[in-house]
Amino acid sequence: MREFRKIMVFTVLVTFMVSMLFIGTSCKQKAVAPQTTAAKPVTITWWHIQTADAEKALWQSLADEYMAAHPNVTIEITVLANENFKTKLTTVMQSNTPPDIFQSWGGGEMNEYAKAGLLKDITANLDSGGWRDTFSPGALGAYSFEGRNYGVPRDMGMVGFWYNKELFTKAGIDNPPTTWTELLKDVKMLKNAGITPIAVGEGDKWPGAFWWEYLATRIGGQAAFDAAYSRKGAFTDAPFVEAGNKIKELVALKPFQNGFLGATQNDDAASMGNGKSAMDLMGQWAPGTYNDSSADKKGLGDKLGWFPFPTVEGGAGNPTDALGGGNGFIVGKNAPPEAVDFLKYISSVDSQIAQAKINLSVPVVKGAEGGLTDPLLKIVQQGTAAAKYFQLYYDQAMPPAVGSVVNDSVQGLFAGTLTPEKAAQQIENSAAKEIK
Amino acid sequence: MKTTSVSEDVVALSRKAGSARRLQDKLTIVLFLLPAIVLFSIFLVYPIFQSVYYSLFSWKGFGPAVDFIGLDNFKHILTDRIFLKSVGNGLLIVVLSLTIQLPLSLVLALMVRRNLRGRAFFRMIFFIPYVLSEVITGIIWLILYNPDPAYGFINALLTRIPGFEPQAWLGDTRTVMLALFVVVTWKYFGFHMLLYLAGLQSIPPEIEEAALIDGVNERQMITYITIPLIRSTIRTSVYLSVLGSLQVFALVWIMTKGGPVNASEVMSTYMYRFTFERFEFGYGSAVAIVMLLISLIFSLVYQRLVRQKIT
Amino acid sequence: MSDNYSYRRRTLKKNLPRFFQYLILIFAALFIIVPIVMIIFGALKTRGEFITHPYTIPIPPNWENFAKVLSMPIFWSMLRNSLLVMLAATAGVVIISSMAAFVFSRMKFRGQSIVLNFLTLGLMFPITIAILPVYLVVRQIGLTNNLLGVVLVQMAFQLSICIIILRTSFESVPYELQEAAYIDGCSTFGFFWRILLPLSRPALAAIASLTMVTSWNDLLVPLVLIDKNSLWTLPLGTMQFQGEYGVNLALVAAFVTLSAVPAVIFYLLAERQLVSGLTAGALKG
Repeated sequence: MREFRKIMVFTVLVTFMVSMLFIGTSCKQKAVAPQTTAAKPVTITWWHIQTADAEKALWQSLADEYMAAHPNVTIEITVLANENFKTKLTTVMQSNTPPDIFQSWGGGEMNEYAKAGLLKDITANLDSGGWRDTFSPGALGAYSFEGRNYGVPRDMGMVGFWYNKELFTKAGIDNPPTTWTELLKDVKMLKNAGITPIAVGEGDKWPGAFWWEYLATRIGGQAAFDAAYSRKGAFTDAPFVEAGNKIKELVALKPFQNGFLGATQNDDAASMGNGKSAMDLMGQWAPGTYNDSSADKKGLGDKLGWFPFPTVEGGAGNPTDALGGGNGFIVGKNAPPEAVDFLKYISSVDSQIAQAKINLSVPVVKGAEGGLTDPLLKIVQQGTAAAKYFQLYYDQAMPPAVGSVVNDSVQGLFAGTLTPEKAAQQIENSAAKEIK
Repeated sequence: MKTTSVSEDVVALSRKAGSARRLQDKLTIVLFLLPAIVLFSIFLVYPIFQSVYYSLFSWKGFGPAVDFIGLDNFKHILTDRIFLKSVGNGLLIVVLSLTIQLPLSLVLALMVRRNLRGRAFFRMIFFIPYVLSEVITGIIWLILYNPDPAYGFINALLTRIPGFEPQAWLGDTRTVMLALFVVVTWKYFGFHMLLYLAGLQSIPPEIEEAALIDGVNERQMITYITIPLIRSTIRTSVYLSVLGSLQVFALVWIMTKGGPVNASEVMSTYMYRFTFERFEFGYGSAVAIVMLLISLIFSLVYQRLVRQKIT
Repeated sequence: MSDNYSYRRRTLKKNLPRFFQYLILIFAALFIIVPIVMIIFGALKTRGEFITHPYTIPIPPNWENFAKVLSMPIFWSMLRNSLLVMLAATAGVVIISSMAAFVFSRMKFRGQSIVLNFLTLGLMFPITIAILPVYLVVRQIGLTNNLLGVVLVQMAFQLSICIIILRTSFESVPYELQEAAYIDGCSTFGFFWRILLPLSRPALAAIASLTMVTSWNDLLVPLVLIDKNSLWTLPLGTMQFQGEYGVNLALVAAFVTLSAVPAVIFYLLAERQLVSGLTAGALKG
């Protein structure tokens, strides 16, 4: 039966090839592991989303410095663009293997991980040696859940209006608006002057949500959000519906750039950076993106100004109340102690100053403010620090499902496909289901 | 086995060899199918079962799945306005593909198959988009569709027409599906054209030549002779096109993410949104199962219909 | 009807449609080629030029973007990884699907149609919607962060269509040939190896090309399975690159162009094979 043998050999070969591939690789991984000598070698995995050259280089240099000082530690950095990061993080979280240190915006999403036991509690580390006191408390609070800390912030800033002073002057506007009515008036003046008043990347949804959330904060103040979030009130309460009405008023003026519903934040930045739109409600990262998207890479330079979100007449909110958020790093459950030590290292004042210098972070560690060179970012930093009530972006403050419904519903308001009541109702439905 | 044309002796001979061969054949069947079945079971069937299991839970995707809710996820899906919209959009792509994309591919295939100067050139051009990745295709078309005529070529071209206002093709709920369909056509019609070309090539040239000599004009020949001869190719192409249209994902996700306001939502972006943005993994799994069932039902019905037509 | 008249009628009939044919073909070709040319033009501009004149002809061409991409070590490592994955996946798919297709086209056994339907499930459960459970499986096997994991998953999801195409192609090889081969003392395996496969070379080339294209362009599987930058493939790099330099469209254009070049080359090499290969297969499905 020569024939039989041939078939056997052929198939066995193929099956063997396949199975060898499985086995061969798992062996390799095992073979590398046991090498215990004096200082136990430790590997720290670190995922961040700073893909821009200067920022990536800064993180790399910090890791290199740390590895040089601790020869037993290897830091494996994975840099991912924002979208890719989200997809990938979801998959590793789902398989119960979080990275040791990774990007987080704190709030609702982090809470989900904490609830599922995927994060390392670093409360004790923060309490020892006064590490906790180096941070501004509000920023640190975004990375705690039920009184336990799971990570630290590196950046925190408030959202506000970035505007093109030259275009404002051209439209005959002397001072930036301080009230909603003034804002609407200025929008009309800009339109009359043939200038696109507002750039918004509503394809990304969250930029528009800033508007609605800020309006709700101005109209209802802290009380409205606290009531709705604690489920004593609801997102169908008057301030949230009223916020929708204001957006309707605004949208009726057609103040946005052409195609805003499909535009991304990059498009929005290009419109601002090249002087095509007059203002943009955006966070602390805005100037950097304007510079990058302008033809000469210089952005608006001196022409760029900043003003806080105007007050709404009769609103319960305090004018210094701020909507915002920031970035930080949280610690995965399997992280070795060295990871926490390294986290401490990258959250030092020196590191924060270096981050501020390249406009990567609006610092949250006391004493690092000086690192900020941009006068506008200094204003943002001061406004953030001075805010009596700091409202975290809704999509961070609340569970991801609710945050995502907020963003979707507000897009409906911008598109005019949802009434303010309907939008508020959708958000309320989701909140009722998710927040317990 | 056909043995009619073989002489008696040979039949006897092959019978004798038959029993040994039968054993051999059995082994061949098992061993030859083994690798495919193993790969399939591990990476396809097992995940399907897992999805079915998770679809019965309200589960965030991490930690153990404990919140068993039976068929609630499915109930939700089938009553969700946005899911129904995504099915509608999928069907729209199916219909447009079958009525525009495939006929276009067929017409072009008929044109470039023979006796045409430059046909090699055209064939080469038409298939290039198919080999470009969805990522690349998405990036290219995002730039082309830019609403600002200073960036977007399409608007730049059209605004040359007096009175034409630049359009936000992807940012307008009315135009977004059409704009996406243009890209889908751009990317995939070459593949179908290739299928048709292959089908046309298998037609013996004598048949068509004979018809032409008999005084049949070209149009008649194509309708009554050529197309019926490649019917099986058309069936395959329709089958693949429908499945592909129902499953389209990457292009939509890269270009619009299903927006604005769900105007370009398709089933796979809907599923992706729930799984990766809202962390509703159980629900996402249920959507995956619904998608699987839709494709499966289509396949079964289609196969039955097609088979009935043949016999 | 005089001969002359009929001749003139024929030439007119032949030439007028031909004119329209060319018109349609040229229009379609423009539709296809303009976007591609646009991106290549873009790649040949500086950042500033791209923003100020995005769709003009780049005179003089600026080769800096290409030079910059080509001087990135990561580009070459991604190119290598993509090639490795593509070749391995293609080899695997060709071997495994031809074995399976052989059984379905040349042998009979009970439950055959059930097994065949089972193996076409891949058409109905695309990787997009299966990605999370697939990731779990790959993790359990310990193949994350390993190009092999990417290869195996890509293979599994490509098998269905390849088996379908090959099966029909194998079926078109006359049964008489098999009979004759057996009578000549050829074994089952011998027939498969020495007669069927060589005869089906175009079909094999066709499924190889399809697998190559699919593997080369796959984003999701490597994205989810690979962490290490050193193991990234080109589509992953493209997404990453766009995230990183998204504002420098000229550079993105150069990257996109360069990463597409290998795929276009494969296609040019395989085009003829593809057509004749699919002629044999797929069509009787």
